[in-house]
Amino acid sequence: MSNATQELKTDQLFINLGPQHPSTHGVLRIGLTIEGEVIVKAIPDIGYLHRGTEKLAEVRNYHHCVVLTDRWDYVSAMPNNLVFCLAAEKLMGVKTTPRADALRVIMCEMNRVASHLLFFGTYGIDLGAYTPFLYAFREREMVLDLFEMICGARLTYNYIRLGGVMVDAGPDWLKRTTEFVEYFKPRLDEYDTLLTYNPIFMARTKEVGIVTAAEAVDWALSGPNLRGSGVDHDVRKSDPYSGYENYDFDVPLGKTGSCWDRYFCRVQEMRQSIRIIEQAIAKLPEGPFMASGVAKIPKPAPGEAYAHVEGSRGDLGIYLASDGGISPYRMHVHAPSFINLAMLQEKLVGMKVSDVIALLGSIDIVLGEVDR
Amino acid sequence: MTNDEIFAKISAKFPKVEKAAVQVKDYLTVRLAAKADLVPFAQWLKDNAFDMLETVTATDHLGPVDMKGYIRQQNFNPFLPDGATPQIEAVAVAGYAYRPVMDLLYVFYSVKDRARVFVRLEQPRENVSVASLTPLFKSADWQERETFDLLGVRFEGHPNLIKILTPDFTVGHPLRKDYAHIKDRFDE
Repeated sequence: MSNATQELKTDQLFINLGPQHPSTHGVLRIGLTIEGEVIVKAIPDIGYLHRGTEKLAEVRNYHHCVVLTDRWDYVSAMPNNLVFCLAAEKLMGVKTTPRADALRVIMCEMNRVASHLLFFGTYGIDLGAYTPFLYAFREREMVLDLFEMICGARLTYNYIRLGGVMVDAGPDWLKRTTEFVEYFKPRLDEYDTLLTYNPIFMARTKEVGIVTAAEAVDWALSGPNLRGSGVDHDVRKSDPYSGYENYDFDVPLGKTGSCWDRYFCRVQEMRQSIRIIEQAIAKLPEGPFMASGVAKIPKPAPGEAYAHVEGSRGDLGIYLASDGGISPYRMHVHAPSFINLAMLQEKLVGMKVSDVIALLGSIDIVLGEVDR
Repeated sequence: MTNDEIFAKISAKFPKVEKAAVQVKDYLTVRLAAKADLVPFAQWLKDNAFDMLETVTATDHLGPVDMKGYIRQQNFNPFLPDGATPQIEAVAVAGYAYRPVMDLLYVFYSVKDRARVFVRLEQPRENVSVASLTPLFKSADWQERETFDLLGVRFEGHPNLIKILTPDFTVGHPLRKDYAHIKDRFDE
């Protein structure tokens, strides 16, 4: 027959990735149109987890709003608490105490370690390496235990409050944190041998999802996604808050902007976080952990404030406007996951189906923050 | 660059652009005179090292939130006696200038200079329509969709201005202050 000589014809095929799929890390749906193995069109569909926290904040007082912030990026909630408190404190003109600042820094960096460990573990799973997940979660569990010890919650902490923090860190907690830091340092080398320089892992990520520096700035990426492309932008350095200017740490940068570079930025960031935690514990100032003068029901004078922090996923910002009432008149969240995800619709076109997960995983989104 | 230096540069090129009456604390906030200025101003900022459009959003200045349909039960805590602690009601604050205005906010950031400019543009509240910045900044794409979805601002020239966060059956734009919730199948 002449079938063998006839050219094989492929039709376009529409497939749904998600919304319920382990590799989408939540409820993200991507409508993929594929031709053979190659993606010709990708439509990310979000909003499955939209709870309208910006609207809810408009009928709650400022202390209540801190609880809402926990629910955005639920695997790294400390920076969420912090950024809202910073914005509200700017509005109210409250100055925090040195001890509260140091405790905030410790908590945020511990949370960054926990969040990056989650990324490290799940990214391995996404690409078929199951073992690193078990190692990463062993250490992440220790961080969560420390959080549970100090504030009673493992994910939604509500620990950072307006004017300071919820409770002081006692000597026992600090001792255990120091023990964890000492335990954790050699583990990072272990991770490198497990996954970072694994030839199969590198082959699947080194040449995939390359985002140039100009593109990254155009898409307004932030956090490790931006730094993976070699752009030196870190809020902790460019716009320091909570005394980050007093700590000695480096900002790891990637070279080509591939998935591996973004991954490697996060792995290196964990080392820097550990450095910051060590310094912060070593020179933890004495004194009160909560500033005086924060009203039970704050009524800031009319005005506007913007605060942003380097969260685990990027530049997390809050714009707050007050009309002088007991609740924020308008709250806007500059959510890094949401903005980082927007590049997916363009970046996926032309990629192979098997690489979708590699790119999506390397952006490291949390759908609670994408949808808010 | 300090805020004053940036503003001096801006006013040399755009004399009509003035400092906003309400400044975002610690940052330079400027106000555009007309919506026709938006694209030239954004283009000029992009050419002058402000290469990142960080935020697109808006504020509805109509007044406090319309609570209609907002709260199902005044006292939802079963452990409290009836009427013990009602949910906070949004009330108008005396002396604050509420006005039927949609106040757009754009935040531009310069990676090189580590400087940030907040740009505001006031438009009448009904049928707001401004030019889209998607031809200049890719990051405007989803953020303009979000602003359209939640606040009802139309961006002319946006390639795909459709809902992004709220479900298909939501009628209206939830962050508008007069938005009244209509009961749907998820309410009971």
